[in-house]
Amino acid sequence: MTRKVRLLIAALCALLIAPAIAVMILRMPSFGHHPLPYGDAINHATVAERHVTNMVSAVNFDYRAFDTLGEELMLVAAVTGTLVLLRGRRGESVSDRAAQAGSRPVCERSEAVTLACRLFLPLIVAFGVYVILHAQLTPGGGFQGGAIIASGALLLYLGESYRLWRRLVRAQLFDRLEAAGAIVLVLCGLLPMVRGAAFFENVLPLGQTGALISGGLILIENAGVALAVTAGFVLLLVEFLEETRAAADGEES
Amino acid sequence: MSVLPWATAAWLFAVGIYGVISSRHYVHLIGCLTVIQSATYVVLLSVGYRFGSVAPIFYTRPPSTPAVDPVLQALVLTDIVVGATVTALLLALTLQVHKKRGTVNPERLRPLRK
Repeated sequence: MTRKVRLLIAALCALLIAPAIAVMILRMPSFGHHPLPYGDAINHATVAERHVTNMVSAVNFDYRAFDTLGEELMLVAAVTGTLVLLRGRRGESVSDRAAQAGSRPVCERSEAVTLACRLFLPLIVAFGVYVILHAQLTPGGGFQGGAIIASGALLLYLGESYRLWRRLVRAQLFDRLEAAGAIVLVLCGLLPMVRGAAFFENVLPLGQTGALISGGLILIENAGVALAVTAGFVLLLVEFLEETRAAADGEES
Repeated sequence: MSVLPWATAAWLFAVGIYGVISSRHYVHLIGCLTVIQSATYVVLLSVGYRFGSVAPIFYTRPPSTPAVDPVLQALVLTDIVVGATVTALLLALTLQVHKKRGTVNPERLRPLRK
């Protein structure tokens, strides 16, 4: 099918669907004024029921923790698939070896870049940990904090060198961390069942509303998610950066 | 102005679809896919929005304050995280296609034959 034919078919389809979409847009509930029964129920009940003040975390890690488990496993599956594709051709045995920069010229980093990276790396990691720990109180959580920490880790590469980044960020350690994060979340679901509670039921003491340690199981689930997301994103960065290197002797490129 | 959010979402979706159809490069195509996905963010957040209310965080306010819907916000969070990792998976597939077939133009690729 040529490009022209394809665009023509698309235009015809668009002409057919456009009136339906226009009607749908006009009949949508009025923006900002329609009832939100589920959200209101959660907003009113959660602070008293679960002793947490961030409703989004309460939905993610308590009321709908089951869905978060699915999301988490989807994330792990996508990361695993990416690793299998990228690492597969290089071979498992070389996944932990620092690579050559290849034919690319090795640029001297300016001192300003190195200094900025050294200053910001601890700050970004600390901010990520803060976002993770305060999931039950203020906006944040394991997903957001994990992504922040992983992007902070990239400053090692930017500010120091590829060699140091590969030496400190051991792919095989992060493989295990990612699995550990997923296992923590699964155990959070299964262990309450040992006590006769439901899957993911919040059986731990809830603590005081507004305290750092509050919300019971939410805290632990959050830590598991943070671990899996940090490790997953770092692994993606490692493997995609590895793609730019030159093949060592006797290796498939 | 009540149709603006829904129209924005429909526009983002349409632009993304056009990009996918007319794409000549897989990386561009994956970018268009994320544009389509961002239409879902707009829809979800617009459904959960309510005028004159605050974010569903009651750290400094009493829980009786009118707040927007946290369920939709949790859905958007899920959407973004899964979208990011699936994009990485698609980019890895693109690298693989480039290595095996030497092109990343969807129009040049033919079905695999034995």
